[in-house]
Amino acid sequence: MNSRFALLTRSRRRVLMSGFAAALVAMTALPAACEAGAPKNGGDIVFLIDSLGGTWIPNNSAISSFQGHIWGHVTDKLVYVDADGKVSPWIAERWEQNEDATSFILHLKKGVTFSDGTPLDAAAVVANLDIWYAGRKSEGINPIGLFPKTYKSAEAIDASTVKVSFKAPTLGFIPTLGYHGSILISPKTLAQPASQQADLGKTSGSGPYVVESWKEGDFVKLVKRKDYNWGPAAVGHTGPAFLESITYKIVSEPSLRVAAVQSGQADVAYNASPQELKSLKQAGFTIATPRYLGFVNGWAINTRLEPYNDVKVRQALQASINRQEIIDTVYTPEWKLATSFIQSNVPGATDQSALLAYNPDKARKLLDEAGWIKGANGVRSKDGKPLTLTLYSNPYLATAKAVDELIAQQLGKIGWKVFIRAYDVVTFGEKVQFGGPAVPAYEVTRSFIDAGTVASILTNANNGENWFALGDSDGKLNDLRDRIAGAGTTEIRAPLLDELQRYVLEQGYFIPRTQIVQRIYVQSPRLKGEVYNGIAYASYYTATKGE
Amino acid sequence: MSLLSPTAPVTTTSRLAALKVPPTVQLSFVVIALVIAWSVAPGLFTSHSPINGVPADKLLGPSAAHWFGTDHLGRDLYARVVHGTSSSVSSALIAVVIAAVAGGLIGLLAGFFGGWVDIVLARLVDVLLAIPHFLLAVIIVTALGFDTTNAAIATGISAVAVFARVMRAEVIKTRQAVFVEASFLLGGSRWHILLRHVLPNASRSVLPLAVLQFGLSILVIASLAFLGYGDPPPASDWGLLISIGKDYLKWPWLVYAPAFVTIGTVLSLNRISRWLRQTD
Amino acid sequence: MNNAYAAFAARRLVQALVVILLAYVFTFVVVSILPGDPITNVLRDPQNGFSEDEIRQIIAAQGLDQPVLVQLWTSLTRFLTGDFGLSMRSSRPVGTLIAEVLPSTLILASSGFAVALVLATGIAYGTQLVPKRYGQGLLRGFPSLFLSVPNFVIGLVLIHLFGFQLGLFRVIAPNSFWATVFAAIALGIPVSAQIAEVLIANLDHERAQDYAAVARSRGLGPFRLFARHLLKPSSLPVVTIIALTLGELLGGSLITETVFGRTGIGSLVQRSVSTQDLPVLQAVVSLAAVVFVLVNLLADLVYPLLDPRVKLVGAASRRPTTADDGASQAVTP
Repeated sequence: MNSRFALLTRSRRRVLMSGFAAALVAMTALPAACEAGAPKNGGDIVFLIDSLGGTWIPNNSAISSFQGHIWGHVTDKLVYVDADGKVSPWIAERWEQNEDATSFILHLKKGVTFSDGTPLDAAAVVANLDIWYAGRKSEGINPIGLFPKTYKSAEAIDASTVKVSFKAPTLGFIPTLGYHGSILISPKTLAQPASQQADLGKTSGSGPYVVESWKEGDFVKLVKRKDYNWGPAAVGHTGPAFLESITYKIVSEPSLRVAAVQSGQADVAYNASPQELKSLKQAGFTIATPRYLGFVNGWAINTRLEPYNDVKVRQALQASINRQEIIDTVYTPEWKLATSFIQSNVPGATDQSALLAYNPDKARKLLDEAGWIKGANGVRSKDGKPLTLTLYSNPYLATAKAVDELIAQQLGKIGWKVFIRAYDVVTFGEKVQFGGPAVPAYEVTRSFIDAGTVASILTNANNGENWFALGDSDGKLNDLRDRIAGAGTTEIRAPLLDELQRYVLEQGYFIPRTQIVQRIYVQSPRLKGEVYNGIAYASYYTATKGE
Repeated sequence: MSLLSPTAPVTTTSRLAALKVPPTVQLSFVVIALVIAWSVAPGLFTSHSPINGVPADKLLGPSAAHWFGTDHLGRDLYARVVHGTSSSVSSALIAVVIAAVAGGLIGLLAGFFGGWVDIVLARLVDVLLAIPHFLLAVIIVTALGFDTTNAAIATGISAVAVFARVMRAEVIKTRQAVFVEASFLLGGSRWHILLRHVLPNASRSVLPLAVLQFGLSILVIASLAFLGYGDPPPASDWGLLISIGKDYLKWPWLVYAPAFVTIGTVLSLNRISRWLRQTD
Repeated sequence: MNNAYAAFAARRLVQALVVILLAYVFTFVVVSILPGDPITNVLRDPQNGFSEDEIRQIIAAQGLDQPVLVQLWTSLTRFLTGDFGLSMRSSRPVGTLIAEVLPSTLILASSGFAVALVLATGIAYGTQLVPKRYGQGLLRGFPSLFLSVPNFVIGLVLIHLFGFQLGLFRVIAPNSFWATVFAAIALGIPVSAQIAEVLIANLDHERAQDYAAVARSRGLGPFRLFARHLLKPSSLPVVTIIALTLGELLGGSLITETVFGRTGIGSLVQRSVSTQDLPVLQAVVSLAAVVFVLVNLLADLVYPLLDPRVKLVGAASRRPTTADDGASQAVTP
């Protein structure tokens, strides 16, 4: 059995090397910190957040933009993924994969325990992998969304070795272990029914902090775990955290969160209004606008709907949007222009800026060619039907409405008539779907860890989400999808990904708006040393608070 | 108008006497006239577009060019307030009409027929009263879907009970009045009495209530908009403007300008309602 | 009198129970016609990858495939035994959720009521004691003004003025003493207007009575007239106003809690509305109705004992008064 792994594949070796490199960085970073005087221990911080979401069932809440902050401190992951998408060891010290990426072996760090005393061993990892893949649907415990659907099984080979098998090549498996959904929870907690798992105070992770107290809709207070010493080497620190406690406190008004930090009543404000950032920065506050690994903010176009079944109209739309004006008006220079339909920090993203240039003349020409002629009221029409676009503002992005209104103005100049609909989260989920009958453009805000998963989402093969309502009609897209899914190494995959990005943008299937910053942090200058991971969550494990 | 019912000659004289309208009431009428003018012909009052702004001019303070300043997309706030008037006013009107018609009908039937009709309708009204009206409005607007018209309907339904109660009390009072009994003895049909005597009299006290409720409805609909249950952009109802403005508190005119317009309007309506009551 | 009172009390009690049950059914109907279906919505999220068959099984397991009437019956019998079910959003018992936030709302509502009462009596008594030329008119204008200002605007102004500019309270600790005081002021101001209007109307009414004229003709000054003759009779209706403003306080706390960032029934409702968490909404509305009906019942039962002038003709003829009734009351000759 093990002989299959005797041969180190090129990719495996590289993964190991990168892990080693990270450890090396950590080792060199640590003495540097020591020279400057040991980091200050102690201190309590208050983090103001819009909401702490609905449920605390780990599987259902781990990917939440809000609860994810708490899980990031209370739990550990098998691997660490940094802001550039680089994977390095954490609870899994090293790993191996077979030639076609269908079987993996994880070697776990020894001596790691959950806060309830249970060892984090191979059996615990198997229990976690199983529930990530399948959930317990009858109880309302969902599977983890982006966990590979190709998962077959996991088995404990010994106390610290796990073997994971897949039905098909799954190059994205290891990076997915660093995804925010893949949090390691004590098997004792996982065995509890959903209503018990929903009580955050009863859930045990292996992270540097534990939940001291919490109140639904109010706050969660975390205190540090004194015996923690298995932090990810990549962040330059593995011992117990420095800060004594972190309190996540709900303040739903963005302006109040910011004002509270300004007046020294709190240390961090989450999701400030972009308009306020400039003056906050001038006032000496730390502003962080980390970009997660994922799709940029933009529209997936429904190619089944008139007139967006016409490639010329889609291309005109692509050229009609002045993306720089969006950044200048709604955002600040911290926001980046989209260069593709995936964020530029994703490994494998390529620069397609030329396809996204603002070119109103080109747009007008394309629309004229397609038969959409400008009428007296400034709106183009064809066969008596006006050129319309209905936008559904994404409720998960605070600035979505403002961007929609601005784009409506931009498109209005070219000859579109734009309608904007704003729904709450539930109604949005209900009425607005990819390729929905009244949804010409679906506004995407979606993170992922590995670009390999992208292609399969776009079409409807393998439970894909069929973003452009193409079904299997676009042969070229299908071919790219299959070749990307079958790629056993990133070297084979890279050019395919590049081609996919160019093709999707050329066809106007995806209309990027800007690179997305879904998490904005305004931080007191006294707080230093936090780290942002690949999904743009701030970790205060390494942070210290000065005077 | 039903107010000048011949059965109430006292009203006519007192109204004549009250033609010496107090200055605060005059001012209130001016405010309401302006608000109506804004809602009927917003284009006469501003040349700026409420939808398309100049992005480069965002978040300017109040000035001669922009009376109320500009918002986060460089749109003239005064233009947005003026153009949002129509929707703010008409939604409150919808609410009052729903409440007055439905509540008035319930109260009229209950008060006029009495007996089991009264008992059944009284329980219905009790149920509506038992649920805090803002909570009721929130639940109903959730059921109907978030937009201003639905918020207006929800506000109207939540105020039905108030009208029903006042109407019922007035109807009972009028029914027992001497002239109605006389009409009844003279062989007037029930419907004749209802239409000729009871309704005109009862509506006298419903009118000030309706005016008052009109103002309250503006506030309730604004509150619903504040909580996010209003129209999608680029709508600019007053409540929505305040709600958007609260995200930009560094530029306080975005909150204060629409807030003052709202307060001024509701205050004027309250004053007029009070005056109607006193002159009656 | 005693027999009559017992009969009256019994009738009111039955009425109260009927209203509570009807309110529950009414809420159930409104809530069950909500267009969204949060359960299937969550289940159909493509990220979960459930098949149609699995979705059906889950819905059946929660009894949501039953006819509406059967669901109503199950939910009503559960409600009567005090079981509100599980929240759809957080999977925690609804009873626990409400119990967690109730104390905070009770504190806010009672301090809001205290503020309202102090303001209202201050204004109302002021209108009787302050001479016309020293701003009585201004005082009489206050209730109108208070009724015209949206309470979220009051809240926003208070937070910015006292929370940030003057630093009187920590905005992020909304349960601290001063934060509660300011939240109570924001909540109490509109409510005070309603109480003040009724009080002023009553005072004016009493003042116009014959006995007041007699007292004045005996040379009684305004202050002594007020203290000896007007204060007591005009204060009695406050008993019923207490019951009535309960709804206002609860409705107002919905917004005040949001503005001040307090957790409470109001913020629970807001969260539940945004996720269409039906069991929670159903429970909160029903409880509000229960409390409202009970307090009113109590007021109705106590009132005849306090004021011998009240005839026991049944509750319907003496419904408690609101601001709007203050209007109709003033009209009444």
